[in-house]
Amino acid sequence: MKCNKTLLKLTPLFVACTLAVSGCSSTKVQRVDANQEVALSDKWNAKDSQLVAEAMINDMLSFPWVNDHLQREGSKPAIIIQSVRNKSHQHIAVDTFLNDLKRSILRSGQADFVANKDVRREIREERKDQELNSSLETQNEMGQEYGADYALSGTINSFVDEQGGDRVTFYQVDLRLIDMTTNREVWNGQKKIQKLQERSRFGF
Amino acid sequence: MQVNTYFKSHFSFLTVVYVLLLSGCQSTPANKSAILLAQQGEFESAKQAIRTDYSPVGKSKLLHYLELGMLNHLQGNYQRSNELLNEAQQIIEDQYTISVSERALALVSGPTYTTYAGKIYHRPLINFYKALNYNALANQSDIDRQAYLDSALVEMRQLDTYLSGLKDRTGGYDDQDQPSGLDSLTEQINNITRPLFAPNDLLKDIEYKDDAFAHYVSGILFERSEELDSARIQYQRAIQAFEGGFAKQYAISDSIVSQIKRDLLRVMEQAGGYDSEVFALRKTLNITKSTQPQPVLNIFQNIGIGPQRKQFNLLLRADKEAKALVMTPILWGTQHEQQAQMRWFQMLYADTSLFDLMQNYATGDIGDVAMGALTKRIPLGPIWDDAVDIGLISALEYGSRISVTYLEPLKQQIKRSEVWVNNKKIADLDKIYSVSLLTLQDALNNANSEIQIALARELVKALTAQKAISATGLNSQFSGFAKFATSVVNAVTASADLRQWQSLPAQVNYVQLPISKGKHVITLKTHLTSGQVIEQSETIQVLDEITLWHTRTFLEQTRVATPESTFL
Repeated sequence: MKCNKTLLKLTPLFVACTLAVSGCSSTKVQRVDANQEVALSDKWNAKDSQLVAEAMINDMLSFPWVNDHLQREGSKPAIIIQSVRNKSHQHIAVDTFLNDLKRSILRSGQADFVANKDVRREIREERKDQELNSSLETQNEMGQEYGADYALSGTINSFVDEQGGDRVTFYQVDLRLIDMTTNREVWNGQKKIQKLQERSRFGF
Repeated sequence: MQVNTYFKSHFSFLTVVYVLLLSGCQSTPANKSAILLAQQGEFESAKQAIRTDYSPVGKSKLLHYLELGMLNHLQGNYQRSNELLNEAQQIIEDQYTISVSERALALVSGPTYTTYAGKIYHRPLINFYKALNYNALANQSDIDRQAYLDSALVEMRQLDTYLSGLKDRTGGYDDQDQPSGLDSLTEQINNITRPLFAPNDLLKDIEYKDDAFAHYVSGILFERSEELDSARIQYQRAIQAFEGGFAKQYAISDSIVSQIKRDLLRVMEQAGGYDSEVFALRKTLNITKSTQPQPVLNIFQNIGIGPQRKQFNLLLRADKEAKALVMTPILWGTQHEQQAQMRWFQMLYADTSLFDLMQNYATGDIGDVAMGALTKRIPLGPIWDDAVDIGLISALEYGSRISVTYLEPLKQQIKRSEVWVNNKKIADLDKIYSVSLLTLQDALNNANSEIQIALARELVKALTAQKAISATGLNSQFSGFAKFATSVVNAVTASADLRQWQSLPAQVNYVQLPISKGKHVITLKTHLTSGQVIEQSETIQVLDEITLWHTRTFLEQTRVATPESTFL
């Protein structure tokens, strides 16, 4: 009888332990669509990069410089990306953002891209190698590179306002396109993103 | 004599049991062993010690990442160091949400059962070391140099956001001389009576409110990247914090503030548009005309190893005659440690204030007035009968062990450190940051709440055990043995939270020198109070207007080797 009473007293402890153990679930991984946003925090993420790139390139190609160039030169403009500086408070994979920009421009079919300095250096090394090792028919000549007409550059800035568990993060991406012959700024684009993160002070 | 009642035979026996238990509690923590190994250049063994004792998923996962982050930084694995410190930062941020279940468990088990969230001053240090890592990476890379420098500034922006939040909570160093709102007579009376209500004046003005050092480092990095407005703002914030109390609180010399003012003057002159401010600064610094800007070398010397948190035990018992709970320190360890424990107890807890002595006198025992320096007495007065009714007094029949932390005394090992350039002495370095004093002040600040929580926890444990004994019927048959056994069990589980980021230096010294561009041999000579001189040399290439050189100086290295350094 005494034993039963003791057992009864210990029951809540067992229940509590069981609940605690059930909270310790093992790691679970699931495959999700790359276009689907999975926002675990207010940090800059892949969706932000993609949305900003698409919006800014659409805006850039809607400006008159594209048609002006076509009429003047009779060919699609060639663009080079100089640099996009991260001046925000978050570590942002700028290369990923640049690739999103390139994809958006190439998909539009209205402009071409010229490889950047580092890639050009590698390609030149490859061409030198071709001169020595490739057959004459398949060799690519030096000095036939496509020069860029326009240079794209910009910055990513951010502001943070925080109070207790609430944080508002504001990202602003500024890009500009410069005519490499005249130094004229033919386009200037801006895209803003604002995120609100709410965290509770207490949890289970 | 009341004192004799303290040492009734069962207390004496239980004290012996506690002492035996304590003998297993004074081992060196793994992270202290690790940094001692790193001091001897054995980095791989140091990292292995951390991996073995601190799991990346357990309650002390933060220490896993902090200690490995620092060890990799010292080793020159900057990319890896940043990956680890990023994880550490994320863990600290996740701790904003307090787990109620974890806290409830800690209340009956101990603080070591909670997830370690670090100290309030750890976050700025994480950003500081990450920024240094990015700068080192920038120096090693031509292609990604700008991206790494930008990343260092990202850290400084995160730091700024954190410090803004901290200042919002603490008020920073801006409101030091704000009137209290009381009229002068009330203020005077308040000042006289304050010691009665809050006798420990020791704990005044030791809160970590802002970080002048972090602002200054931010300023240097922003200036390096020619973001002059951001640099100016950070220099101004650093000056405000240093002069507002940070320098006094952490014993920083005036020469540091003068240096920052010269930096502020330089960026204001470069940016232009600050004529009146420039005029005022020149007057303050006694500079008559503007000087031609020239490259400067900033040297940050991280010295030594921060102090260790150790465990200190007290015996809690009920004094039936005086109707009070009494805590008596159980001194353990080497003679040096025992002295430190007694001083910590007398400094923070013992009944040594007039108010405490009066309380002891009022409870009717003159003997306790004399024993004040050796005990802490909590008179229960009218609630004594309630304590008896709920079984608390009975539960404490064999006493209970309370464990809190104390900090090993800070050693003054450094006499001075000086910098030589190309075999010529140029300047002395001054202390700009004291991790030792930060740790000490944090421990002092938390001492009262820590002992209160520990006291509550041990009382809850004792009471729960008492109720369990009654419920199972052991009370009538094996009363004495059961109570004794539960006291022993509670004593085993009582432990203080000794976790801390141990690989941090004891202090950071700093100097800024004008230097010409090109190669230079920089030598740091650290003179110790023992007479020993530690020399560190490195050839550095000065390319920019602002250059940083960062090194760690271990004071007790036995192996002669070039210490790890970070040319930035």
